[in-house]
Order: sequence, then structure tokens, then C-alpha cells
Amino acid sequence: MSISLSHLTKRYGDDAVVDDVNVEIPEGSLTAVLGPSGSGKSTLLKLIAGLEIPDEGRVVIEGDDVTDVDPRHRDIGFCFQHYAPFRHMNVARNIGFGLRVRKQPKDVIDAKVAELIELVRLEGKSKSYPAQLSGGERQRMALARALAIEPRVLLLDEPFGALDAQVRAELRQWVKELHRQIKVTTILVTHDQDEAMEVADQLLIMHEGRIEQAGEPTELYERPATEFVHEFLGPTTIFKGASIRPHDLELVRSSEGAMEGTVQSIMELGFEVQVTVALSDGSTPWVQMSRNEFRAFEVATNSPISVRERVAK
Amino acid sequence: MNHTTRKWSLRLVVILYLGLLVGLPVGYLFIKAFSNGFHAFWIEVTKPDAIAALKLSAEVALIAVPVNTVVGIGAALILARRKFFGSRALTLAFDIPVAVSPIIIGVALVLAYSRIGWFGGWLISHGIQILFSPIGIVLATMAVSLPYVLRSVLPVLIEVGKDQEDAARTLGAGAFRTFWQVTLPAIRWGVLYGVTLTIARTLGEFGAVLVVSGNITGKTQTLPIYIYDAWDQNYDTVGAFAGALVLASISIVALIILSTLRARERKLHVDLA
Repeated sequence: MSISLSHLTKRYGDDAVVDDVNVEIPEGSLTAVLGPSGSGKSTLLKLIAGLEIPDEGRVVIEGDDVTDVDPRHRDIGFCFQHYAPFRHMNVARNIGFGLRVRKQPKDVIDAKVAELIELVRLEGKSKSYPAQLSGGERQRMALARALAIEPRVLLLDEPFGALDAQVRAELRQWVKELHRQIKVTTILVTHDQDEAMEVADQLLIMHEGRIEQAGEPTELYERPATEFVHEFLGPTTIFKGASIRPHDLELVRSSEGAMEGTVQSIMELGFEVQVTVALSDGSTPWVQMSRNEFRAFEVATNSPISVRERVAK
Repeated sequence: MNHTTRKWSLRLVVILYLGLLVGLPVGYLFIKAFSNGFHAFWIEVTKPDAIAALKLSAEVALIAVPVNTVVGIGAALILARRKFFGSRALTLAFDIPVAVSPIIIGVALVLAYSRIGWFGGWLISHGIQILFSPIGIVLATMAVSLPYVLRSVLPVLIEVGKDQEDAARTLGAGAFRTFWQVTLPAIRWGVLYGVTLTIARTLGEFGAVLVVSGNITGKTQTLPIYIYDAWDQNYDTVGAFAGALVLASISIVALIILSTLRARERKLHVDLA
């Protein structure tokens, strides 16, 4: 195991922000810590980096107990939410900072910086200052700066949080690809379940300072251990008094084995269509289906329709 | 009144107001200082007592400005980066010396360090004379210029935040390197602004220094006190005007540097936005 956390606890006053966290993170994995804001995920990351000091528990990286080790000796690459560029240094000097601290010879630093600039695709920007870069470029510079020290672990705090949707999607794919190339154990923190599901091979769901569930994304999605995980990992709706995924419901014409009702509203979102149905028992579940499926029904608002659980084909 | 007329009459009022308060007196100062020609002016400013006063003022500034800069930056770092009980009281304590009249600082120092004061007696019996000596002048000057660096640096430190420092730490940098290579460059305009204000206040302080210095000509006279003396005691108007011109010129140069820095700082903020 690359990182193992045991009984890790951080309190602010009486409030436990991170509460008895026990978790093992596999070597070379790309783990996403997913949770709503205030769930303690950023604090967890800072505890691993040593930027916060735990009240209880241990942090072990590659077999070394680093709980009492200063962050500067942990060999951890940390990317901050707003990238924390050194504003008065150009891109090359930012990336080379950790190498200069390590007193590497100048030609070694120059070669390494050039290599990293190519890796993060900032060619031609080496003399630019952070203020002259776009958000995505700043993000990639911060990544290169963290990677320059050849860290044992790479920690990314909300890496795509401050970027617009287009750049986000590109960077996600790029980070995934980068991780495949360099294989460094990576933990990223996010509040966006789509992002976590898309990028990560391991998920940690955090809620009120505790780990709700850990495992592979599909496993968590299909077999959520708690109601919180179930609701957090995707949309849910209430049918026959139980919480269910709206794509596990379907519309049917005949009332056989289904509940009758009328269409309350229709929302068309490109490929996906969401139909909310007012049922005879007073509940109003919504059904998620593809555009083609929806077309077959020819329903409009107030049309009579029935709803049942989708039968596995 | 149309818009243009209103704009111009407003400007005229401001110009007249500034002219009466600043322009006329300073202009008159220039004319008077040179009223007997440049040679007379030069003789006045090179008088041994004038030179001694200028030298003492410079020496006091050379001690007070670096000390208050280091103390100010240090206090700002502690206040911005650590939460602790009494931090607000500490900030307040830094402001007290400029909130009260300088004469109060002077009198308080006399009370503390005179023969009958709290520790004055002990110090004097050990041969250390604080009052009526340059040490007293340095103390009074440091007190009245205490908060300027802190007040200019603290908001910048808070705005810049802790992330760059944390990033430097994770990259392996120690406290010393982090301060010189990351923190200080990030707050440098704030520091320069505070230092300029401190220099201006240090050179110009009159009240607090007058009380503690004992006003011994050629020994404990700073430039502002020399000017006052020339004017009030010796009826040496040309000497007073000449000294005042030197002091005013130093302050005006400091102000010009300051406004240039502020313009650059503003430009920098626009660049970063």
C-alpha cells in the first residue's frame, strides 16, 4: 500500500473535521476523494501533505510513518485549488523551484524543466509569468512544479474547480492520460461525482469527516453501502416509498405490474429526457430515458401513463 | 450651470484651497530661503549646527527605519499567519503611538526613563542616560513611526494568502528560503510603501523628540528642532527657511518615490486581475 491512514482525526474546537479515518490507498492508483463541501476532504489532503497537523492517528507513506515529518521532507507533490503560483517567477523558475531547493546543478535543472514543460504542453511559455497564463495553463504549470521533485505521492486539491466547463473536460482526460504515463500514486479531491467517476480508478466517499465507502467507482455506484453514497453518486427519485435511480424506472402504456398516473412535466436535455409522473398514491417520481425511447411514447403533459421498475433485459 | 462649468468651478475651488494651504506657504519658503541668494542659503545649511542636526536626523532614521521595518514585517507575519488570543489587542497596541499626540509619547518616555521614573533611576545608576541623549531621540522616533510598516504589510499578507508559502514548503523550502524567495517578493510593494511612510515620519517628528531630547544645540537637535530653534529662539529666519527647505525637499522626494511605487503597484494589480 502506498498510503495508509489510521485513526486520522483533526478537530477545530469541538468539531471533528476529519473523524477517525482509516484507509489504504493502493500504489500507483488514481484515487478521488469525493464529498460535499465541508465534508473534510481538503483537510484530509492537507493532513497527508503535513500542512495540517492531526490531533490523532498516523500517516504512513510507502511504509514510512511521516506523521511527525515536516511537509518539506515528505516528498509530496501538492497542487493547490487556486494553483498557488509564485507570481513573481516565470513558468520555468516556478517549475524549477523544488530542484533549486534540492541544490541540483544548473544544467540538470534546465534539462528537467524543459522536459516537464513539454510534458505539460507549455512549450513557448517558459518565460511567461503566471498573470499572463490562462487558468488551464496555470493549472498545468502547478502540476509540473509538483512533479519536478519526483514526488512519492501527488495530491490535487479540487484540480478542475476554478476552470470553465470546456477546459475542465479536456484537463480531466489529460490528467488521466498523464497518470497512465507517470504512474505516480495520485489523490484528487473533488465535489463533482461525474469528475470522480470519469477520472479515478478508486473512490473515497467522505461525509461529515468520515469515510462512508471506499472502492472502485462502478462497485460503489452499483452497491452503495449507505443511503448517503447512493444519493451522492447519482440522481435518485422515490418510487413505492424507496429511493431508486431514475434510469431504473420506465414508462409503460398498460397498467399491468405498474403504477398508474399522469405526466406532470417533461424536460428534454438533448439526448436525455426526464419525465415526472404524478402517481395515484400521490408520489411524483421522475423517469430518465433516452430521446428515442421517449419518442416511442408520444406523451404530453397530462397524458395518462404508468410507471414500473425497469425489467433487466 | 452646465456640466463643463460645474466641473471647472469645482476644480478651481480645489486648486485655490490647495494653493492657500500648500502651494503658497511652500512657494514662499522657497523664495525666502533664497532671498539673499544661493550663497547665503549655502552658508546657512553648511553651518556646523545645521550639519550636526541633519546628521543626527539621518542617524536616527538609519536606526529607527530598519528596526521598525523588521519589527513591522515580523508582527504582520505573526498576525496574518497565526491565530492567537490577544492578536487584536496587539494590533491596537501598534496603533496607539500614532493615535495619541506625539507630545504624550514624549512625556511618557520622560516619566519612564527620568531619574524618578520606573526604571530610569536604575539605568542612570548604571551609567545609561536615555533622556537628553540620542538614545532617547531614537526611542521616541521609533515609537511614533511604529505602525506604518505593519499597517502597509498586513493587508497585503492577508490578501496574498498562505498557499504560496505552503507550496514552497511542500517543494522542500525551509522557513528562511520561503521568506526571502516567496513571501517577501509577494509583499514587496507593501513593504516599500510602509518604509517610505516610516522615513517621512522619522525625519519629520518634532513633538515627541523635543520633549525627550533636552534640545542641546549641536548635540541633541534633530533637523525639525534646529529649524524651530532658528526661528523661535535665534530670529534667524534665513537659517530656519533654509533648514525647512532641506527637510521639505527630503519629504517631497520621498512622496514622489511613494506615488511612483503606488502607480506601479496599481499597474501590477491590473496585470494580475
